[in-house]
Amino acid sequence: MLASRLIPRYTVRPVVAKSTLPKVVSAPALSQWSRAYSASSDEKDLVIIGGGVAGYVAAIKAGQEGLKVACIEKRGVLGGTCLNVGCIPSKSLLNNSHLYHQILHDTKNRGIEVGDVKLNLANLMKAKETSVSGLTKGIEFLFKKNGVEYIKGEGSFVNEHEIKVALNEGGETSVKGKNILIATGSEATPFPGLEIDEKRVITSTGALSLEKIPESMLVIGGGIIGLEMASVWSRLGTKVTVVEFLGQIGGPGMDTEVSKTIQKLLKKQGLDFKLNTKVLSGDASGEKVQLTVDSVKGGKEETLDAETVLVAIGRRPYTAGLGLENIGLETDERGRVIIDSEYRTKHPHIRSVGDVTFGPMLAHKAEEEAVAAIEHIKKGHGHVNYAAIPSVMYTHPEVAWVGQSEQDLKNQNIPYRVGTFPFSANSRAKTNLDTDGLVKMLADPETDRLLGVHIVGPNAGEMIAEGTLALEYGASSEDIARTCHAHPTLAEAFKEAAMATHGKAIHF
Amino acid sequence: MYATRALRQAAAHAQRTPSIRFLGPRTIPSSIDHTPKPHPASPDGKLPASFVSNSPSRHSSFSSYRDHAQQHGPLQKSIRYSEANGVGGSSGSALGSVAAPAGMYFDTSELPARFRRAPIELEEIEAVESGGAALFG
Repeated sequence: MLASRLIPRYTVRPVVAKSTLPKVVSAPALSQWSRAYSASSDEKDLVIIGGGVAGYVAAIKAGQEGLKVACIEKRGVLGGTCLNVGCIPSKSLLNNSHLYHQILHDTKNRGIEVGDVKLNLANLMKAKETSVSGLTKGIEFLFKKNGVEYIKGEGSFVNEHEIKVALNEGGETSVKGKNILIATGSEATPFPGLEIDEKRVITSTGALSLEKIPESMLVIGGGIIGLEMASVWSRLGTKVTVVEFLGQIGGPGMDTEVSKTIQKLLKKQGLDFKLNTKVLSGDASGEKVQLTVDSVKGGKEETLDAETVLVAIGRRPYTAGLGLENIGLETDERGRVIIDSEYRTKHPHIRSVGDVTFGPMLAHKAEEEAVAAIEHIKKGHGHVNYAAIPSVMYTHPEVAWVGQSEQDLKNQNIPYRVGTFPFSANSRAKTNLDTDGLVKMLADPETDRLLGVHIVGPNAGEMIAEGTLALEYGASSEDIARTCHAHPTLAEAFKEAAMATHGKAIHF
Repeated sequence: MYATRALRQAAAHAQRTPSIRFLGPRTIPSSIDHTPKPHPASPDGKLPASFVSNSPSRHSSFSSYRDHAQQHGPLQKSIRYSEANGVGGSSGSALGSVAAPAGMYFDTSELPARFRRAPIELEEIEAVESGGAALFG
């Protein structure tokens, strides 16, 4: 045996210098003639179509979980609607327009005397763009940090595992994925008969970058987007009228009592409302844009006109150009990609999250789903509690809610106990001279378990986090009432509302 | 008497059990049912029939299955045919030459001799069979 090991190698196999080997068959060419038995090197564990909140969060999470991941985004910048033309730029305009409005109208009683106050719209927009670009670049950095391949282009399905990408810089490439995530988001729903030019007839996108302050504005739709944009331009001097089909503003999810409160407060700020009113038609051919409206019941037809019309009647899933038909993937009657409880489409390796599928079109809901979808791929288990997703409207005062509303409970014949606490009785709100609004809590009368929290008031968007946590953990109103809250804070109003639900508030 | 009552009340207060409980670190359930179920936010709470996994109707033909099947990467067709005409629908000449392109070979046996396995010489066979002893004989 030992001798066999001593056999010089050249007696067994002649050595051939590598450089003399010709290129016999290249790997891709070979694959046309034989089956590929190992994954090709460019096949990803996960390919994500869409670099918005759902897509980029999924990409980062997948990178953290060690998956080989590529993210396709056609906008040229990451962050999707939220970062580029949604949540983030609107918050910049809301915050700065509120400051401007406050300096104009709310300084004398605070002992501050201000001279000439002027608005520089170009700089207001520049501040917005600085916030946006800082955040979008931040995501690109996170992509690099987590090993995510970022493909700038428009992706469409070739087959169930291959996506063709028309690159933004020209040319085309394709990418294969063992798993694919559709996260293409949504777009503003247009109003039939009114062509959107983003100058006179605008969506929320145009409302974020108007070049001059319009004299008048009609807002079709009194939901969250419509009211936030109405607030911005009203504060800057535009005469705003909101036309809403329903009998309340804020959309169907907002608690009726809260909706009435905020409507009163916004009316005080100068906004006009036409509720229970439907828009019959629009005409943008004249100097002003005209809308023909009627009451929902009929018989009160009238014509309204304004320099600008904001169409804010909702958003619809965006799947144009995605090639869903190439893989036989159907959408429901509202264009949403149909998924199961694990975000799988009918092709189990293709999943979908965010605005393009079921559930409320909220960035934080999309983020939760993105993480859960990656956990399903990697660990076989993920979770989102759809009963504890907060909603926030960033007007002033803000409106925020989580869980069920009073009318939800009434409709389902669920017994409940209600407790409220007004900010006018809260010490911090008093010192801030910002006392509009209330906290309202709903709890089960027997178990005291929290069923819903509804806030209209300063910093409601931050305060709702406590309610969401309580709801997620299944807390009782007594649990909140017995938890120490710092004094003096707005959060004490939250505690006192819990006390009012469980027993009695101290300060009201 | 009053002091006892006050103490009892204090004790009762201290024993109040909050409904929030510490659950400890989360673990993934040992068995998970992965059969498709309606999404919680689905408007009608139903799944279309196409979601039934491994449904035989998913592929209308073996050819269609092969187009989509994965075996460490998609199984690729060696002959491209038009979907409208089907296999045999196009003339042989339209399909092009069946010969391998220049520089490509179906089998290693077709390669030029210098790239094939070196023939084993008689001495080597003897060396292997004798455990190397033949080299010294």
